[in-house]
Amino acid sequence: MRVATDIGGTFTDLVYVDQHGKIGVAKSHTTPPNFEKGVLDVIGVSGIDTAQLDTFIHGTTVIINALTERKGVKTGLITTKGFRDVLEISRGNRPDLFNIQYEKPAPFVPRYLRQEVEERLNYKGEIIQKLHKDRIQEIVKYFKKEGVEAIAVSFLHSYSNPVHEIETVQLIKELWPEVAVTASHEVTREWREYERTSTTVLNSYVKPIASSYVDRLERELSNVGNDSNKYIMQSNGGTTTFEQSKQTPINMVESGPVAGIYGSAILGKIIGEDNIIAFDIGGTTAKCSLIDSGEVKVTTEYNIERTERTAGYPIKVPVVDIVEIGNGGGSIAWIDDGGSLRVGPQSAGALPGPIAYGKGGTEPTTTDANLVVGRLSPKNFDNQVDMENVKTTINEKIAKKFNTTVDEAALGIIRIANSNMLNALKLISVRKGYDPRDFALVAFGGGGSMHAPALAKELGVRKVIVPVATSVFSAWGMLMTDLRHDYIQTYIRRVEGINYDELNEILARQESEAVEQYAGEGVKEEHVLFSRFVDLRYLGQEHTVKVPVPNGKITKEGMNEVIQKFHELHQQLYTFKLEEAPTEIVNLHLIAFGSVQKPELAKLENIGGTLEDSLKEVRPVLYENHGWIDTKVYNRTLLNPDAKLSGPVIVEEQSASTVVYPGQKVTVDAYGNLIIEAEV
Amino acid sequence: MANSVVTKVDPFTLDIVKDSLVAIGEEMFYALARTSMSPIIYEVLDYASGLTDAKGQLLTQGNGVTGFIGMLSFMVRETLERYNKAGDLKPGDIFLINDPYGGGGSHLCDVGLVMPIFYKGELIAFSANKAHWTEVGGKDAGSMSTDSTEIYQEGLQFPCVKIYDEGKLNQAVVEIIRANVRFPDLSLGDLWAQVAALKTGERRVQELCDKYSKEIVVNSINHLLDHGEQLALKSLRELPKGTYEAVDYIDDDGIEEGPFRVQVKVEITDNEFICDFRGSHPQVTGSINSTLTGLVSAVRTIYLAVTNPSQDVNDGSFRPLKVLTDEGSIFNAARPAPVSMYWESMLFGSDLIWKALAPVVPNRLSAGHFLSVCVAILSGKHQDTDERFLIVEPSVGGWGGDAGKDGASAQFCILDGETFNIPVEVCETRNGVLVDEYSLNIDGAGAGEFRGGNGVVRSYRSLTDNQVFTASFGRHKFKPWGANEGKDGSINYFEFIKASGEVAGPFGKYNQYPLNKNDVTRLVTGTGGGYGSPLKRAVEKVVSDVKNEYITIEQAKNDYGVTLDPETLKVLELSKDRQ
Repeated sequence: MRVATDIGGTFTDLVYVDQHGKIGVAKSHTTPPNFEKGVLDVIGVSGIDTAQLDTFIHGTTVIINALTERKGVKTGLITTKGFRDVLEISRGNRPDLFNIQYEKPAPFVPRYLRQEVEERLNYKGEIIQKLHKDRIQEIVKYFKKEGVEAIAVSFLHSYSNPVHEIETVQLIKELWPEVAVTASHEVTREWREYERTSTTVLNSYVKPIASSYVDRLERELSNVGNDSNKYIMQSNGGTTTFEQSKQTPINMVESGPVAGIYGSAILGKIIGEDNIIAFDIGGTTAKCSLIDSGEVKVTTEYNIERTERTAGYPIKVPVVDIVEIGNGGGSIAWIDDGGSLRVGPQSAGALPGPIAYGKGGTEPTTTDANLVVGRLSPKNFDNQVDMENVKTTINEKIAKKFNTTVDEAALGIIRIANSNMLNALKLISVRKGYDPRDFALVAFGGGGSMHAPALAKELGVRKVIVPVATSVFSAWGMLMTDLRHDYIQTYIRRVEGINYDELNEILARQESEAVEQYAGEGVKEEHVLFSRFVDLRYLGQEHTVKVPVPNGKITKEGMNEVIQKFHELHQQLYTFKLEEAPTEIVNLHLIAFGSVQKPELAKLENIGGTLEDSLKEVRPVLYENHGWIDTKVYNRTLLNPDAKLSGPVIVEEQSASTVVYPGQKVTVDAYGNLIIEAEV
Repeated sequence: MANSVVTKVDPFTLDIVKDSLVAIGEEMFYALARTSMSPIIYEVLDYASGLTDAKGQLLTQGNGVTGFIGMLSFMVRETLERYNKAGDLKPGDIFLINDPYGGGGSHLCDVGLVMPIFYKGELIAFSANKAHWTEVGGKDAGSMSTDSTEIYQEGLQFPCVKIYDEGKLNQAVVEIIRANVRFPDLSLGDLWAQVAALKTGERRVQELCDKYSKEIVVNSINHLLDHGEQLALKSLRELPKGTYEAVDYIDDDGIEEGPFRVQVKVEITDNEFICDFRGSHPQVTGSINSTLTGLVSAVRTIYLAVTNPSQDVNDGSFRPLKVLTDEGSIFNAARPAPVSMYWESMLFGSDLIWKALAPVVPNRLSAGHFLSVCVAILSGKHQDTDERFLIVEPSVGGWGGDAGKDGASAQFCILDGETFNIPVEVCETRNGVLVDEYSLNIDGAGAGEFRGGNGVVRSYRSLTDNQVFTASFGRHKFKPWGANEGKDGSINYFEFIKASGEVAGPFGKYNQYPLNKNDVTRLVTGTGGGYGSPLKRAVEKVVSDVKNEYITIEQAKNDYGVTLDPETLKVLELSKDRQ
């Protein structure tokens, strides 16, 4: 049996699949700060036999929480002489352009813990000044005195040659074996010293936290008789072993959210859809990501705490390319100083939550608006919803200001929220040169299925897929993942005149590194699959395009095909190509998957009964351009495979509601997914 | 008739279309950054793009820097004035414009493009952008000189000419550019990126019309402008009414000795914000002159800072703003005055108002900052490839403390913004230099209850012979000002440490200094002004400052009145003033 547990802000979700491919889910409260307790709780709730488990996969917010709450350990940094302030200088940018009082993000390591050592490489990785080893001893002594618990080492040009970093780490381990150490080349082999140093520092900062969490979890699991293979979800959409996760915990920074994106790609493969837009609406945010021909996009241009108004901190590890906006079920509707209606990014969160929760919420939210227009039913809430209060508040705070009815105001809130989400969806599709008509939208999270059919119509997507267990789909995605490691090496070379022997040697080295790492994790070489890319650009450009490269030795002819593909992709992404211009390689990117045995998914059982049996009620629902329509509401759990419904119609399940527009058609597929034909 | 249609459109649709217009501006902005060939665009984001309405009123602008905030609409209006006959503007036309005296605004390096957007044969908007090209020719590489005396020395001038005529490229103009600039691939690469971004804007606006109808889009445009004005008026009402004045001095112009006196009188009423620069110094011989467009951009920047720094900006926001100046002054120079280092005066347009209002708007403003773009231009040959390289980069420096916190260290000046320094590893790969040091400039200046932020030291070691260096570091003679009893910051400068050990400098401006292998150019930017009396700084912060080596133990005692044990950093004594 495979089990996935995913820790969220409010709930810890569990999804399992047994040897017959049958899926089960459970939910339990998240238990900060001892998150492992929530995991054990949800295992208890699910009633699974822990001894039957052969694979345990875990998604966790422990790392991102430690970072955003500044709960990591006291960290010291060792840098090349002359560059201790790189972390504080950062890139010097000020995103909040007109704000004189802009507050630059404070470095995670204060100046007195940033120490310099004489050593220097040039851009080619050649040593021009040897490492001054005695200085390392002094620094270690000083760090001990200052009560440092973790050390980061980041030297200039170490992406090109890590020799001095390796020597330094060895020395530190000899002098102080128990301290947590990270050298920059261990977390990223890309150039740009500020970004690499930031990544290294953040890894060290959370390393002891990650170790103690993973160890506690492992102990607790073995206490309940579990000796399964244990994996942790990484931000790149794949998993890694518990052991490796303790070395480079920064790879877990987006552990949970990416699983749903990855799951969308897997679901697409199962049902024959290669081009997917994955779309997740939670309580405070909506997230989306585009999957082109089954390929989940991964980027190393990730930042934490970056907004339109602040620079945040870069983390240069592979993270699934997600666009996230502050629009979820709990997002607050408000009127700005210029009299325009806005929704989010402020959220009522879980507490007090929307007005409807009856926990003291006083601001109208998207969820409240959905109640007023009949898209959500008060009957599906845990509490007794005071609809009068919801309506009165929307009337007072929104409708009166615009001189409209409560209904129109509620619909206005939903339309503005949809407009925000539509812009995010366009950002990843139309604006990147993709035609939405070639894509299917996979909608999940608590609110995904409620908004997706309307958005699909606006965006021009032909099909919406609402997966089984839509509200815990991220955990489902984890069940389906393979192990994955990314190896990215900055390698600046003009394509013309490139030394193919050297290139192939480096590629081979990356592959053997991967095979070796997997061997250490118990994965045999025949189960390691490679996928290779180069980041290319026109000479003189900064930004690169990721271009797939066939496996095996690269020849001149093979490279010509890669360059042709690059021109095509450049044209698609940026509307032009420069076929005459020289091209340049920036990074070599190897993805190594460690494939694991996964159960075949079971098809949805026909439980008999007619469509009428699954009809819950008929209630009035307000649709833009149509007005109020009496709409049939079906119970999803009673729908049989091949059931067909026509919009307007609502399909309800536990903690999700799918709102289908007039003219749209729904089919339940063989696995139980709802397939909505979006185009009218 | 059209008006009766307006009232029937529900308010939410207008807001949705309004937000879509803003989103188009953002999309155009990112499209340009990602396709540009020049570091000055893709790293420094020294460009802006946006949409105006059919009359040239700014609707939405994506900015990498604040300095272009006034410029797009001036370019469009110049286009409308020059091509004012029926049929002059046609779908597919694109205009090239950089003339500082004719709608261009800043200096010749900032090249603008303007494209009329038609829907079903009717002009409804303009798509426009402006970007800093690495090179537009002229007497010196980088097209910026501290010793030019006429604009003709500073590069090619594009006086609003058609580069595309109904979609057809004017190849002759392209060839003229190619023949006149030093790095034609970079400059033309930027041109194509700018064209692509304009077309994106055109396509998106037309799609919006397809979806909502032209009438609704036009109504939303008016709604957007009115919305901007409402936001501005509301913030104006919250500002203290009255007249505020400030005076300051610009160092020199690279040729004349200086200093040049400049002044402002700011008058704030319930619905107007009037900035009167009359009486400031006349235009000068050297290249630090600003044009009126440049000044207006500087004023708009600080106006937004004191009214509402976080809004989406459009011309509606600027309706209450008035700028008065003398023609032929350093703030409103006349042709053919050179302007390539225009920011050295333009920035005073921001700083004077900032200084005048700092005492009365403490919640939005701070003490003075290092105030110069501090551009460094270094060219020569790469030691391995023997190819020519050209570094053109602004520098980060110290900002002033404000009523609640210390000033930011190592941040680009107010005229820049979402501007990124060039990583050392990228710099050393591309250019024939080794960076010996990139660190904070710890000089102890800017003491205050809230300290001024630190500037930086960046040192370039030349790796080949025959390199040349040009730079303009303003605020080289007059320090960033402290506020509310905070101390002044420190000046910007650069110096050369020759391989022989001989030191030349410090300088604030230099044109074409010759450098050979192992000569080091040391760039130093100033610390910002302090805010509040240093004696009010919390003792534990003073201790922490010493521990972190932001200040010395002597400064702790002399400036802050806190005597510490040099070994343990225990507080031994607090000065009388402090008690």
